[in-house]
Amino acid sequence: MKKPNRSKFSRSSRFGLGFGSLFLIFFGLLSVSGVGASDSAASDYSIIASVQNQTLVQGVTSREPVANASVTVTTPGGEVIGTATTDEQGLCTIAVPTRDDYLITLDIESLPDGLQLIDANKFQVSITKDLFTTNTKRVTFFTGQSGTAGATETERILQRLADGIRLGLIIAMCSVGLSLVFGATGLTNFAHGEMVTFGGLMAFFFNVNLEIPILISGPIVIFMGGLFGLLFNWGIFARLTKRGIGLISQLVVTVGLSIMLRNIYLFQFGGRTKQLASFSKQTNLEIGPIGITPRDLTTAILGVIILVSVALFLQRSRLGKAIRAVSDNVQLASATGIDTRKVIRVVWFAGGALAATGGIFRGLDEQVSFSMGSDLLFLMFAGITLGGLGSAFGALIGGFSIGILVEMSSLLVPSELKVAPALFILIVVLIVRPQGILGKSQRVG
Amino acid sequence: MDWNQIIQNTIRAAVGVDAIYFAIAAIGLNVQFGYTGLVNFGQAAFMACGSYGLGVTAQYFGIGLWWGIPLGIFFVIVLALLVGVPTLRLRADYLAIVTIATAEIVRLFVRSVKFNKVFGGTDGISNYSREYRELNPFEPGATYGFAPFQFSGYSFFTILVGWTLVAIFSLLVWQLMRSPWGRVIKGIREDEDAVRSLGKNVYLYKMQSLIIGGIIGMFAGMVLALDRGTVQPDNYSRDVTFYVLTALVLGGLAKVSGSVVGSMLFWVIFVLSDNFLRELTKSGPLRIGDFTVIQSTQVGAVNYMFVGIGLMLLMSFRPQGIFGNRKEMALDGR
Repeated sequence: MKKPNRSKFSRSSRFGLGFGSLFLIFFGLLSVSGVGASDSAASDYSIIASVQNQTLVQGVTSREPVANASVTVTTPGGEVIGTATTDEQGLCTIAVPTRDDYLITLDIESLPDGLQLIDANKFQVSITKDLFTTNTKRVTFFTGQSGTAGATETERILQRLADGIRLGLIIAMCSVGLSLVFGATGLTNFAHGEMVTFGGLMAFFFNVNLEIPILISGPIVIFMGGLFGLLFNWGIFARLTKRGIGLISQLVVTVGLSIMLRNIYLFQFGGRTKQLASFSKQTNLEIGPIGITPRDLTTAILGVIILVSVALFLQRSRLGKAIRAVSDNVQLASATGIDTRKVIRVVWFAGGALAATGGIFRGLDEQVSFSMGSDLLFLMFAGITLGGLGSAFGALIGGFSIGILVEMSSLLVPSELKVAPALFILIVVLIVRPQGILGKSQRVG
Repeated sequence: MDWNQIIQNTIRAAVGVDAIYFAIAAIGLNVQFGYTGLVNFGQAAFMACGSYGLGVTAQYFGIGLWWGIPLGIFFVIVLALLVGVPTLRLRADYLAIVTIATAEIVRLFVRSVKFNKVFGGTDGISNYSREYRELNPFEPGATYGFAPFQFSGYSFFTILVGWTLVAIFSLLVWQLMRSPWGRVIKGIREDEDAVRSLGKNVYLYKMQSLIIGGIIGMFAGMVLALDRGTVQPDNYSRDVTFYVLTALVLGGLAKVSGSVVGSMLFWVIFVLSDNFLRELTKSGPLRIGDFTVIQSTQVGAVNYMFVGIGLMLLMSFRPQGIFGNRKEMALDGR
């Protein structure tokens, strides 16, 4: 509006510049760092079979590799492609000629004495060529006991509660940014999960590749996460808003961004999950009936501290008040003299930094993978919808509750379906109180 | 580099089964997203309704394969009500959130051990397509067509059936959108309140659009299931919806031909890039000096990276797609 003489061409080329430089900076960042240079297979296609013994201690399943088990790959017709025995990691790789249908059979006789398959029928796995999403296909056989033997009802509930609190803290941390960005700009960011993954992968790079302990590299990664968020805003969304692109179109752009980033991660990091080096081996501390590692206890306490300081910042500081004002009503906030564009930048930075923190914690809690963040995205959405879209406190409360709910519900439903109750909550909330616990009803309809 | 082969594969991709099921899914998504403005990110779940409809009738109920169509429609309606009832009165992005979540849960359900007997777990369902194969008038082993459009008898039959379906649905949607119903639907996309002030029940129209788009998407899943002869839960992941969306935006939203041309183009570009990169990395990783640019295990990731970049650029610079009309693309949901 200010400069009507600026031609459409120059505007879009300026935009393209931002877009391109975002991509270049990011890709350069990753390729120079060479995050976990992926392990290449000798043959084009191969099947990795893994044999794991599962044991249940204190309600937590742990897995140990089983060596010297014999695995055979055949065609569906019965022609043998190759046989291999597992190594110390319980892994063996069998090269296959092409992407095709195969049967993978574990020789039960070859298992060490006393080990049995959890499901005696699962000694054979058939895969089809469509399952080769990359050139390697991983197949796992589980031996040992499964289920919930050994712990009493109360112990299991308490254990799940402890796990739920940890997951809840991570989800709350990750979703604050999602909710703040929504409040300030109206954008539903489907690439937010990739911001979480960024934190996890960068932590892996510093911690494993450069061997810097996580306590030192953590703050660097968190800062980088904030810059990453700023880059989203500067490189893409601020420009799109300036050009008057609608919010639904921007939402589709976030989807494209999410696909792009996830595949860059996959390209650089490979498809496997990997462990951070710091605190990877820990013994359980017994606190009453609950088993928790010192690492998990530390991250839980740190998580509480971070979330409380975020809440205090939003409640007490001038900037925090400005953020809440903007997410309440952009026009009114702007009329009272708040620099809304600055607030939007702050929000992207804070959101990115918190998402990266969540990614580091998640990486310590579980493992690091290229899709660790996008796997959490749905839980984050459930959390901020429950708490109220656009409300930062709502995101804290909602995310925390969803984390506890998901872990607790695994007492009732099979653990592979434990996220289903989160969907149930999401739907019930939208029917009963679509603005969520702390949301405002006017932005719903 | 075997350019002859690459070009043949690329041209064949324009008419192959992948382009067909993408085209059908995109026609369905176009009804919802392009014409009505409903952000459905769960088209993969509607496709799964079709595939599993077929698989479950034959495998679990042991009745004829074609009962899968009414069963699939039943699944679609249940799913559409589940995602539509809570969200269609709300802002557009709530539907996006709920559909993406539901699609993921549907996938987890059908691959779970708990429902192994019905849906076959991670192995999925196979051995259900006998009745379909018996309809095939062509010799399954023989080759039909002329270079580069050469297909085995079985694929040839599926391709014929598939393109017939594409034509039927294109015609159907074209007629629908010229009808009074279609004008209301497009009105809802442009200005919901204006349509409401004319006394139309916007909620009901949106629900109808969601179900119709879902049923069309269901047939995409059926074509996929009949072609592959097996239903695998991981064929219906969240990303499938996004790839279909990319194809749709590429061809142009709110245009019947857009969905078809977009899907063909999508696969032509995808197969070209895939074949080219695979040829490039066939004899070891591509290096510049000591720096490894790309190796064969990374080809898939690079292809999908291009898809993501393509979707972003299209939505930013040419939201109307290659053939679309910009006036039809005034999507804004606030």
